[in-house]
Amino acid sequence: MRPERDLAPAEARQADPTATSRRGFLRIAGLAGVSLSLVSAARRAEADIGFFAKDLPDDKLTAMFRTILRIRWHERTMADKMLSDPDYRGYNHFYAGQEAVAAGACAALRNEGPFEQIDLVYSTHRPTGHAIAKGVDLKKMCAENDFRATGLNGGYGAQMHLSDPAVGFIGADGMIGPGPVLATGSAFAIRARGSDQVVVFFGGDGTYATPHFHSALNNARLLDLPFIYVLENNLYHQYAHYSFSCPHTDIAEAARAYGIPARVVDGQDVFQVYNAMHEAVERARAGGGPGFIEAKTYRYYNHWGAPGAKVGELGAFGYDPLAISSFRPERELRSWMQRDPVDIARATLIDWGVLDAARAEAIEAEVRAEVAEAFAWAARQPLCNPEDGLRHVFAEGTVIARQFG
Amino acid sequence: MTEKSWMYAVLEAVQAEMRADPAMTWIFELTPPVASNPGMPVINLETEFGRRRVVNTGIDEMWMAAAVTGAGLAGSRAATYIPYQGAGMPFQIIQNHAGKLRHMTGGKASIPVVYVIELTGQTPGFAGQHSDYELDTAYAHIAGVRTVVPSTPYDAKGLMHAALRSPDPVVYLYPAGLRMLTEEVPDEPYEVPLDKAAVRTAGGDITIVSSGPGMPVVMEAAARLQAEGVGVEAIDLRALKEMDTETFVNSVAKTRRLLTVDMSYYTLCPGAEVIARTAENVEGARYKRIAFPDAPPPASPEMFLWMRPNADHVVAAAKRLIG
Repeated sequence: MRPERDLAPAEARQADPTATSRRGFLRIAGLAGVSLSLVSAARRAEADIGFFAKDLPDDKLTAMFRTILRIRWHERTMADKMLSDPDYRGYNHFYAGQEAVAAGACAALRNEGPFEQIDLVYSTHRPTGHAIAKGVDLKKMCAENDFRATGLNGGYGAQMHLSDPAVGFIGADGMIGPGPVLATGSAFAIRARGSDQVVVFFGGDGTYATPHFHSALNNARLLDLPFIYVLENNLYHQYAHYSFSCPHTDIAEAARAYGIPARVVDGQDVFQVYNAMHEAVERARAGGGPGFIEAKTYRYYNHWGAPGAKVGELGAFGYDPLAISSFRPERELRSWMQRDPVDIARATLIDWGVLDAARAEAIEAEVRAEVAEAFAWAARQPLCNPEDGLRHVFAEGTVIARQFG
Repeated sequence: MTEKSWMYAVLEAVQAEMRADPAMTWIFELTPPVASNPGMPVINLETEFGRRRVVNTGIDEMWMAAAVTGAGLAGSRAATYIPYQGAGMPFQIIQNHAGKLRHMTGGKASIPVVYVIELTGQTPGFAGQHSDYELDTAYAHIAGVRTVVPSTPYDAKGLMHAALRSPDPVVYLYPAGLRMLTEEVPDEPYEVPLDKAAVRTAGGDITIVSSGPGMPVVMEAAARLQAEGVGVEAIDLRALKEMDTETFVNSVAKTRRLLTVDMSYYTLCPGAEVIARTAENVEGARYKRIAFPDAPPPASPEMFLWMRPNADHVVAAAKRLIG
């Protein structure tokens, strides 16, 4: 799936026992046809991260599972509406497949309390999972995505500009580049005022190529900022494989070059993401400076919208007319779906005795009902008043209509 | 002559220039240099010229703009296609390097490059950041860089040839909403000058000046006004810098009424410059400008479509001006 482009010198590979063991394991797995799910166990062992998730209370663990399901069913319901409901106007850059990253990372954050105390999250053009995990109101988000006057942002922003500072969700960002630098600015302010908040930036593999990636990491290290870069490596930026824009197999190598502690985790395993995030958050809160987590993950839909998807089915296997020069192989998608974040979380919690299958099923049914009601509520909300487009340009007043001459 | 899409016509020009000049390069990010057209061979610059000359980069528009600028300084012609989501990122390179180097070096530096910069803002639903029609104002303000904005496939091809052959850096604004337009376009290379406006309709009652993404609105309004017996002189600027002052000044000297239409923000929109230049040269004319309000385009279709200038607005404003 990933091209072998490991450019590290031989001695560096020797010094990193995890590199050798992973390669060795994958070779054996390939020969023996071992289930891919074992890769997770191997990575967990090699990463040697304190296994904080084991010590969490059952309700916290169950909440992480519920978050994954809320994201998953939001994405599936929205995709179905886009494909089947001619009255529905929303669009999305779907997050399905990556749920464990948002759920695991945000579970390690402080999400409730006054704005001056909660942790802050900067998101991307693919924000719905981060928003849900951080605590954004599902109904209001659904209304915003359908351009409703009572939506989260009054219909001004929609999917690529979702924002709810009240829960620390600074917001989505339609641009690739400035996000992490803005996040370091928030971290800088937090450090200056003596707060113990941390700032998290979620970004994709495409962010590596931007000058902003390097500026953010350098300044975060120089100033020891409470800043955590969660890089969701889903292999593709827009329609191009990340090997087109990054010479590293593990982008975390770049963070280490800036002197920032970095972890590579299995982004399909919510507890592994949580463990790495917990470590980084504790360090940043204590004044230990920035952290970097690369979560290996995959998106089940194409870059934008639902081309190639079918109503009632998870994932987009069909042709994407926008992907002119670079296609995702269907088998690559199917192999990633074998390691589904919902399945992994459910199986782990059943294995740990936190849930049984019946309880897991009941939670999923509750979530599906909640999501259905959120979309139904959104559809009942009023459309925007045209003249309100002239408001919110400055803190007060309106600007003048100029379109009539 | 073949009926061609906008994109096909543009890439035909790039292909011809790259065949003629084996040093010329093309850098793209999201939009592959690929186009097809019924009855015509598929154009794929990447496969035809190889990845040494045609490069698919990461998301780094600053590099794209700087790289072609540097290529120009090294003596190569080069062009880059910067998609709308990064359309403002190259500003520093174009404004403070490309625009100033020839002058600062006493004429020694030459930057024969083209920055193709997508303009969007035609689609309701994509709020703020994915709507950037206002950048025509920003790029047209820069000294030392030619800025053009075609509104038809014919002009798109001819301006691309002229831009690629120009010794000056050219910002070639590409209104993505016009990408699906088709018209008869010659197969062979030809140039549309980088400093000449086009008079689209002749008439004696009112001059309406616009450019690029504003032109479809103006042409629709002009047709409706002409049908009602109003003589409309519709002018397509095509070049924002150097602006063809003579064409619109001569027109307003005749009509005495000038309406400008821009999809850009009102403040400092190209029409503001057109009105100022006309006022300096024509006595006793009446003026009005239509533009997008000085507000970021909102996502909601109800708000956005109300704010975006349309043909109804142009017809009504023209009648008031004649009134």
